[in-house]
Amino acid sequence: MNLRRIYFILVVVALVAAACTGPGASASPSTAASAGASTSTNPEAVIDGVEEGAEITFWTFFLSPTFDEYIEDTIARFEETYPGVTVNWEDHQATFLDDYRGAIRTNSQPDVANLSNNEGWVREFAEAGKLLNLSENLPQDVIDQYFPNLFMDSVVDGASYQVPWYQAVPVEIVNTQIFEDAGLSVADFPTEFVGIPQLCQTIKDETGKLCDIRLTVSDYLAQMTYEGGVDVMSEDGSAFTFDSPEAVEWLQTYVDMVAAETVDRAALTTADDRVALELFTSGEAPFYQTGPQLIREVKDSNPDLYEQLAIAPFPIGRSGVIQPTSQGIAVRADTEFPNASMALAVFFTNAISQLEFSKIVAVYPSTPESYEDPFFSEEPELVEDSARPLAFDLISQAENILPTIPNKADVNEIVRRAVEEAIFNGADPQQALSDGVAQANELL
Amino acid sequence: MRMFTAARPRTPVRTIRRVLSVVFWYAVLLLMAVVTVFPLLWIVLTSLKGPEDPIFSVPPQFLPTDPSLNSYGRVLDTLPVGSFFANSILVSVSVTILSTLICALAAFPLAKMRFRGRDPIFYLLLATLIVPVQLTYIPSFVLAVQVFHYYDTILALILPSVASAFNIFLLRQAFKSVPDELLDAARIDGASELRIWWSVLLPVVRPSLAAVGIFTFVVSWNDFLWPSLMLHTRENMTLPVGLAALQGLFSSDFRSIAAGVAMTVIPILIFFIAVQRQFVRGLAGAVKG
Amino acid sequence: MAIESRPLPPGRGRLWPGLRRMSPRLDPYLFLAPALLLVAIFVIYPIGTVIYYSFTDFDLITEPQWVGLENYTRLLDDPTFWKALTNSLIYLIATPTLIVLSIGLAIVVNRRLPGIGLFRALYYVPAVSGSIAIGISWRWLFDRNGFVNSILVSLGILDRPVQWLSEPDFVLPIAILLTVWAGVGYYAVIFLAGLQNVPEELYDAAEIDGANSLQKHWHVSIPALRPQITFVAIISSLAALKVFDEIYVLTNRTGGILDSGVTIVFYLWKQAFTLSNAGYASAIAMALLVITLAFSVGYVRVLERRFET
Repeated sequence: MNLRRIYFILVVVALVAAACTGPGASASPSTAASAGASTSTNPEAVIDGVEEGAEITFWTFFLSPTFDEYIEDTIARFEETYPGVTVNWEDHQATFLDDYRGAIRTNSQPDVANLSNNEGWVREFAEAGKLLNLSENLPQDVIDQYFPNLFMDSVVDGASYQVPWYQAVPVEIVNTQIFEDAGLSVADFPTEFVGIPQLCQTIKDETGKLCDIRLTVSDYLAQMTYEGGVDVMSEDGSAFTFDSPEAVEWLQTYVDMVAAETVDRAALTTADDRVALELFTSGEAPFYQTGPQLIREVKDSNPDLYEQLAIAPFPIGRSGVIQPTSQGIAVRADTEFPNASMALAVFFTNAISQLEFSKIVAVYPSTPESYEDPFFSEEPELVEDSARPLAFDLISQAENILPTIPNKADVNEIVRRAVEEAIFNGADPQQALSDGVAQANELL
Repeated sequence: MRMFTAARPRTPVRTIRRVLSVVFWYAVLLLMAVVTVFPLLWIVLTSLKGPEDPIFSVPPQFLPTDPSLNSYGRVLDTLPVGSFFANSILVSVSVTILSTLICALAAFPLAKMRFRGRDPIFYLLLATLIVPVQLTYIPSFVLAVQVFHYYDTILALILPSVASAFNIFLLRQAFKSVPDELLDAARIDGASELRIWWSVLLPVVRPSLAAVGIFTFVVSWNDFLWPSLMLHTRENMTLPVGLAALQGLFSSDFRSIAAGVAMTVIPILIFFIAVQRQFVRGLAGAVKG
Repeated sequence: MAIESRPLPPGRGRLWPGLRRMSPRLDPYLFLAPALLLVAIFVIYPIGTVIYYSFTDFDLITEPQWVGLENYTRLLDDPTFWKALTNSLIYLIATPTLIVLSIGLAIVVNRRLPGIGLFRALYYVPAVSGSIAIGISWRWLFDRNGFVNSILVSLGILDRPVQWLSEPDFVLPIAILLTVWAGVGYYAVIFLAGLQNVPEELYDAAEIDGANSLQKHWHVSIPALRPQITFVAIISSLAALKVFDEIYVLTNRTGGILDSGVTIVFYLWKQAFTLSNAGYASAIAMALLVITLAFSVGYVRVLERRFET
């Protein structure tokens, strides 16, 4: 079962019209910063020693053009709060990861960047020493404003290198028409990953449609850990262990589904997200795992399908833990303006900014204080908002259980090859994974 | 030994056979033309399809029933296509002129002078032909970022491409075929070597210069890997890099991707059809030389 | 004819006529200087540096760290590298295919029919459009929603569309097909020029001997095209070993499932510029150099033998 990347949620988020809910620029009245207020009296100004005349670059992921107004307003508020700081904002989309890596290679890494946690981006760059250690550098009262499990989402050697930003709640969007044709109802959706193969078999038998599942090809080890309950590394970090019986069982599940032709193997292993998304919006797939915002996008491109949609809770993997689907903001390790950069990161992720964001699109804050606003206890009207009352509980319980993995990108390539060998070449999963472990251990 | 010099008698059978032959060859030519042009034609047609026109259908639908230029608008709004063209033209023209001149300068002593180190230098240049250029990209990348600091600029595309052992080699061949007497005559008249090179030698080998120029231009125009490593900001991208960015940006929106491809290919085609005769002649000439 | 054989007045024959004799000949070096300087910076220096990098662990920013032969031993055990090597060698099939098809095309268009010029230009279109534009077009042709699937499903050959470029067995063949399709017009021009130099008499003589069209071409055209065939064989095979653009676009920068489309240059690029393993990539570059060297030496031997006969 696959964890939708924030990429998708962002695609959705970027495509969703903000019209339905209120205007995005309304700040919570009680803490509105007055124009030109000095740093000391503005409650949003929490970082001291912000450099004079600092000019910092800020990259976001897939938020333009839909959220231009929100971002620009928040930046304006930030520049009022910390006068003298200028922010240069860039939004990067499908090529964000390549662009960011390229920027590092050419010494033009942005000072502040919106990086995905569950894609493993924060871990990749923190492990490479490119991000600022925020556990050490942020004041404790700032750290305390976040859910602790989210602040410690992508931990490297016990420290956090990001502040958590908006969260998505993973759910299953169900095409009730296909389910009905297969003699199933939404309530029949399995609550655990182990029930998925049977579901797909039933759907295939009754309707001939294939399940539209896609593996997280950029972070196989994470998927193994959450979904398969696998320990991918030994306790002391001296060897990889992703050829354990649990791992083999996890891989075997997918191999069997491919063999039974209940999933499309090309869609399963493609690096290109849109393949799976398109299958769903064209009505060919029975369910799709992502955030509820996607529903609005379906409404735009396929209104008939919209009528058929329902939401089912996301099936839990063998680990029993839900992976946080979290966007974070990270600061460049060797930035010229560390205080200004941290101030920006913390500003965008404070309770006020995140509450405003939640009001214009169905994402959820990483700051418990935001949930005290009446907005979150309102009854949801649209099906895509039905996750809202559950959000607080789901988000506070999400937990990151991944170990720090050295050379993560290279190891991921090795695992990818092993998975593809098993699925496309009929290799024995145990053999493929063990070969992979041998290769990966050489990198240690 | 031709025995029959008179024209053969024209019987009806022969005429029919001739007509059939002509028809046959036209059919073949047409078929090959369709095969050649089809993918691009399909792209153009797709780019004109409106939201109501399906891209995938059984059987395939070629002509848009709901034609629209929306896709073109979307691409133009998002990507600086004009800049792509401008940058490509700037780079290719600069490289062509600089390379032709500098390689012609270098080829002159190699072809027409005797001096110490001539042969070792020549063989060294020949040896560099064996080295695949992609090998040099990693150090060139480091040079561009850390030493010359021309990352993300046009200069990064121009400088490394100017010195081409291949061009030097071709021009040396061309120069060698120029009679020495021509040069010596100019020397007697008191011209400097540079003058001789410019006023006497180059005009004589103009066809070869044209061939080298055309060849260099085409290679530079279509170069992708190195520009993709160097160019980051959209406004600085050349056409191939911009197209790749288009593919990444509009990943599932085939109509827009088709519009982008069409926008870049059609002007090139128009230009090419206009100059194709010289182009083809130049290219063929390059092989003979 | 040696230049020094004619006595020249003093001061003549120098780069600047007024310049007194400083050293025996300065101007050859001055003419060569710009080119040699550029070659030194952009070819010689990189070659040396790559050799050095191949013994280091280098991420393109921080100082390279010496690791000795580690990259090379890793190379030997790396299944993707061997796959890349195999794919690059398989890609060589494009060369004979190209030669045969290009000669065929050249023969077909080498006739005086009205409008033949238009056709010749048309066949050149793929070559002029650029590898990226063409690559993108082909990627969409073979997409699940693409033309190929439309046709195959309409004809009943397929039940449901196939994502061709996600099937490992199809990636390389499609890439090779693309290269051949794009290159035929380009190389046909060269053969056409060669054909037009063949004297009519040779064809007439063959006709008198009773040869039909096919035999005429086999016995007259093809031997006459030998220099062009050699040239095209060398150029296109060296290009086939270095294929990158097609793979980049067709596999959307990934190289394909099971690395089915990965070629040596693609693997070099991937290691250096996506995974930041520039040291390891340099070792791959060395492998590429060895292969190219082997081919080039082979060609020189063959050519020498040819010219001796």
